[in-house]
Amino acid sequence: MRIVAEHLSYVYNARSPFATKALDDVSLTIEEGEFFGIIGHTGSGKSTFVQHLNGLLRLPSSLKRRKKKDGVVLTVGEFDLTSKKTDFRALRRHVGMVFQYPENQLFAETVFEDVAFGYKNFADKKPERDEVERAVREAITAVGLDYGAVKDMSPFDLSGGQKRRVAIAGVIVTSPEILVLDEPAAGLDPLGKREVMALLHKLKESKCKTVIVVSHDMDEIAENCTNVAVFSDGKVKDVLPPAELFKRTEELFSLGLDVPLTAKLTLALKQRGVEIDCDYTMEDFVAKVLAKRGNVC
Amino acid sequence: MLKDVSFGQYYPVKSFVHNLDPRLKILFLIGYIVAIFLAKEFLALGACALVLVFAVFIARIPFGKVMRAVKGILFLVLFTAVINVFFHGGSAVYWDGPAVLWEWKIFRVTQAGIMFSAFLVLRLFLLVICSSLLTYTTTPVSLTDGIESLLTPLKWVRFPVHELALIMSIALRFIPILMDETERIMNAQKARGAMLDSGGPAKRVKAIVPVLIPLLLSAFHRADELGDAMDARCYSGGKNRTKYKKLRFSWRDLLAAVLLAALIAGVVVMRYFPVFPL
Ligand SMILES: Nc1ncnc2c1ncn2[C@@H]1O[C@H](COP(=O)(O)OP(=O)(O)OP(=O)(O)O)[C@@H](O)[C@H]1O
Ligand SMILES: [Mg+2]
Repeated sequence: MRIVAEHLSYVYNARSPFATKALDDVSLTIEEGEFFGIIGHTGSGKSTFVQHLNGLLRLPSSLKRRKKKDGVVLTVGEFDLTSKKTDFRALRRHVGMVFQYPENQLFAETVFEDVAFGYKNFADKKPERDEVERAVREAITAVGLDYGAVKDMSPFDLSGGQKRRVAIAGVIVTSPEILVLDEPAAGLDPLGKREVMALLHKLKESKCKTVIVVSHDMDEIAENCTNVAVFSDGKVKDVLPPAELFKRTEELFSLGLDVPLTAKLTLALKQRGVEIDCDYTMEDFVAKVLAKRGNVC
Repeated sequence: MLKDVSFGQYYPVKSFVHNLDPRLKILFLIGYIVAIFLAKEFLALGACALVLVFAVFIARIPFGKVMRAVKGILFLVLFTAVINVFFHGGSAVYWDGPAVLWEWKIFRVTQAGIMFSAFLVLRLFLLVICSSLLTYTTTPVSLTDGIESLLTPLKWVRFPVHELALIMSIALRFIPILMDETERIMNAQKARGAMLDSGGPAKRVKAIVPVLIPLLLSAFHRADELGDAMDARCYSGGKNRTKYKKLRFSWRDLLAAVLLAALIAGVVVMRYFPVFPL
């Protein structure tokens, strides 16, 4: 499913002294099969944008009336999210959403029950027990946990990283076509971060066609993403593949963003007169550097 | 959305009413409520209403906000009004026509009943609007400061005034945070297909569990953290603590007090020398 957003704006607490403009005329297209990254400083509207993708935030009705005039478009595959008649439940089955700190949504007595929650909710009729079990087993295994060991445990007895995995399992259990994750690695240790990103890769290959990830970790973005949207103050500055994006190191710094280690090294080498043209994955960078060295020596 | 719940929501603009001393505002509220209940006829209640409309106007609270407060008790008010119309049964005549307009078994609609119901409705509305005016124009912190200050005499009988005020201010402080949290958790569960706003009552109660449990957990967690943080800074009771913001009376307070005193006096006079008795 393809995601198209055009001229999308969103104001929190509109028409009150608390009004904050979180999205300002955002236009974006995300093709099926992308590993799409979203970066931007805090408060730039990343979370607000992704929450639109499964209808948790909707266009305010005042905007709807002006929709035609302003050309506001928001579609996910066949679903037109600017319309009131959209079946949001069906949409949410196709668009899985993992929120920031998803472990805060755990509630059931056992890991099994918690992961099964989404599956049962989205089933059209009451699913058979072994059908549920198969889906839950698959999801728990997919996030790299031992099904037999954790299924009867209380989710609250798990470690932070394990809780996060269970929470992710609770979302992918319905095999959504599009998986959206809001800072899935926030607050994890380096190993946990690597594991979560590896997990996303695995999911993309097996279960979910499109993965959209909001992240502050530029190394992960450089390694994984096919395209990156840069948000700043509710606007989309640019949508570029990482290889193009991280060439503009200074610009990213001025937006209060970081660049991956490879981009920093490229810059440092450039200042010493060595031009490296890589796509900013560590592997490519090392290969290019070695090639350069071969030429010099 | 949840944040539209207007109870206890401070409305941040600068105005004459916002700047009044919170202690006095609390006393004004009490005084005003007394006035409402002393009023025995429409003229007196109308005067009260006029004063309140004026206060809302200079407080620069938008009309919609005020109406939202009223909406909360609309059902209760209408219910009371309907009951009173049917069961009041008084015999006074207020306009040309029979005293009893309609009668069936124990139900009797009279002119007096209609007037009384209207009076009641107005009184309840005023009650709600004036209370919400206080919370719209006073931050929770100064509200509790005011309450603490007003309750100070109770310290003589060893009543834990400071602790009470602290509990109140913490509770008020956490309402918006918990609202945010609730919204976040609701969104997360909705994303997992929970239908939180449809289905019959039984279904809805069951649907609350996935929201309530994470919410309680996080509330307890927060309480723990707050307790630890207070401990770490050696927080201990009210003794010898000084205030960051000292409460002070000003000319505004005097002006408002005079206005309210005039209103109460007027209402009391009308109570003994009614103009259009109800
Ligand atoms: N529920 C809300 N109510 C009111 N304002 C909000 C709400 N959520 C976000 N905002 C405001 O909208 C703006 C965008 O917030 P958003 O959460 O989308 O940013 P973000 O890019 O996800 O930031 P972060 O990296 O910190 O998660 C911010 O200014 C924020 O204060
Ligand atoms: Mg965010």
